[in-house]
Amino acid sequence: MGDLGLIAQVVVNGILFGSMYGIAAIGLSLIFGTMRIVFIAQGSVIVLTAYFCFWFFSLLGIDPYLSLIPVLLISLLLGAAFYYGLFRESAALKDRIGSLLIAVGLMFFLENFMTVVWTPNPRAVVTSYGFLTFNIFGIQLTLTRLIGLLLAVLAAVAVSMFLKKTLIGTAVRATSEDVEASTLMGINPDWVNVVTFAIGIGLAGIAGVTLATTYSFDPVYGFEFALKALIALTLGGIGRVYAALWGGIILGLIELLGTFFVGAGWAQGIVFMVFLLAMTFRPYGIFGGAGEKV
Amino acid sequence: MANQLLEVKNLEVYYGDIQVLWDVSLQVEEGSIVAMVGANGAGKTTLLKTISGLLRAEKGEILFSGERLHNLKAQQIVDRGVVHVPEGRRLFASLTVVENLRLGAYLPRAQALFNESLERVFSLFPVLKNRKDQKAGTLSGGEQQMLAIGRALMAHPKLIMLDEPSLGLSPILVKTIFELINVLNEQKATILLVEQNVNQALKIAHQAYVLKTGKIVMCGKGCDLLEDEEVCKAYIGERAGNR
Repeated sequence: MGDLGLIAQVVVNGILFGSMYGIAAIGLSLIFGTMRIVFIAQGSVIVLTAYFCFWFFSLLGIDPYLSLIPVLLISLLLGAAFYYGLFRESAALKDRIGSLLIAVGLMFFLENFMTVVWTPNPRAVVTSYGFLTFNIFGIQLTLTRLIGLLLAVLAAVAVSMFLKKTLIGTAVRATSEDVEASTLMGINPDWVNVVTFAIGIGLAGIAGVTLATTYSFDPVYGFEFALKALIALTLGGIGRVYAALWGGIILGLIELLGTFFVGAGWAQGIVFMVFLLAMTFRPYGIFGGAGEKV
Repeated sequence: MANQLLEVKNLEVYYGDIQVLWDVSLQVEEGSIVAMVGANGAGKTTLLKTISGLLRAEKGEILFSGERLHNLKAQQIVDRGVVHVPEGRRLFASLTVVENLRLGAYLPRAQALFNESLERVFSLFPVLKNRKDQKAGTLSGGEQQMLAIGRALMAHPKLIMLDEPSLGLSPILVKTIFELINVLNEQKATILLVEQNVNQALKIAHQAYVLKTGKIVMCGKGCDLLEDEEVCKAYIGERAGNR
C-alpha cells in the first residue's frame, strides 16, 4: 500500500469533506438563481446551525442526527425570515450590490452574535460514535463523515426532484430564467423567492449538522466556508444542482490533495488558482456547455 | 352597444418622468379581434404591460367585465382570465415544452383543467405534441410562437393579448399565425392584437386602433382603416401592402 494507500485515503477524505461545500453551494445556487443575491452569509448561517446542533446536544442531550429535524425546521423558518426581513426589496429590484451589502452585514452580525453567545473558542459535537471508523481496503472511513456525504447526496436528490417534479419547483426554475414572463403565468415572485430562500437556508442547516458532527468550528469560520462554497459553485456552474455538488467535491479534493502534497499553506493558494483558471477558461463551470445559465 | 369585455379609459402611463401613454381609451368587444397598430415606440407594448399589471398607470381606468383591473397584481389579473403573450415569446428556454405548458396552467383554476387544456393545445399544434419533452429553447421560431400561444391557452383565458406574434417569422409562418388567430377567434376567444405587420393585422381585425407616440390617433373597423389613405401611407407603404 504505502503512498498509494495514503493518497487513496486523502482522495476519500476530500470527497467526504467537499460534499459539505457542495451542499452549501446548492443553496447559494438556488438563491442566486432566482433572486440574483450573492448570499455571502451562507457560511455563517451554517456555523450558526452547527451551534444550534451543539446546543441541542449539550443542553438537551439530543443526538445530532435527531436534531437534524428541528435544525432543518428552524433553518427553513430562518430562510423565510431573512427573505421577508432583509432581502425582499433588493430581490424585487434585482439590486445585486444592495443585497450583497445586506448579506455582508448579516454575516458580520452573525459572527459577532455567535461570539457573544458561544465565545470565540472552537466547539464540536463529540458523540460516542464520533470516532467510529471502518477500514475498507486499508482506507479509514469515519462514520460521521460518511453520514455527511449521505446527507449531502440525499439533499441534492431531494432538491433536484423538487425542482423537476413539483409545480412550484418548475416555477422556481422558470422564475430564475425570466421573472417577468413567470409573473405573466400568474406565478407570485414573492412566493417563489421565499420558498427558494427557505430551501437554501434549509440546506445550510443540513451542512451545519454535518459540520458540527465532523469538525470543530468557531464563529468566524463561516466566511472562509462561504468563499469556498462560492468557488465550488463557480467550478460546477450556476443553476444545476448536481453540478454544484460535484463542484464542492472537486474543491474538497483539490484542497486536501494540495495539503497532502505541498502543505496546508499552499493548498489555499492552489484552490484560488484553480478558481481563477476556471473563471478564465470555463466561466460557465467545468461541466457547463457554453451559455448555460448565468 | 354590444358587451364590452375590456374597457380602457383615459389611461396615462409613465416610465419614470417620461410619459408614454396619453389619454388612451379603447374597448374590446367580447368575441372580437381588436388590433392595435402603430410604429415602433408608439407605446403598444406599454399598453399591454399596463393591462396585464406589469406596469402601473398614473391615471385612468382598466375595466374587465366591469371589474377594475388597474389595482390588481399581475397574478390576480391572470386569474381573472386576461393572458398576455409577451413580445419575443419569452418562453422558458431551459424548460421542456410540457413544463412550459404546465406553467401556463399554474393557477389553481387552470390547473384543475390541465389535461383537457393540454389535449386542446396538442390538437391545435400537433408539432408540440411530438416535441413535448424537448427543451423550449431548441424549437424553431414558428414552433416557439405556437408554444407561446399554447401556453397562454392553458390558462383558459377570456382575453388573449398578443404582442407582435409575427415578429421574426418567415412570411409563410406569419400567415399561419394569423390564420391561427382567426381559428382561436372562431373558437370564441377574444383577442387584443398588437402588431407592426399592419396590413395583416387590419385584415383580420374587427376593430382597430392606431397608436402614435402614445396617443390613439385613429380608430375604426379594421377593413375601413385598411382603405384609409393616411394609414396606408404611414404604415403600409404606397399600396404595397405586403410587408
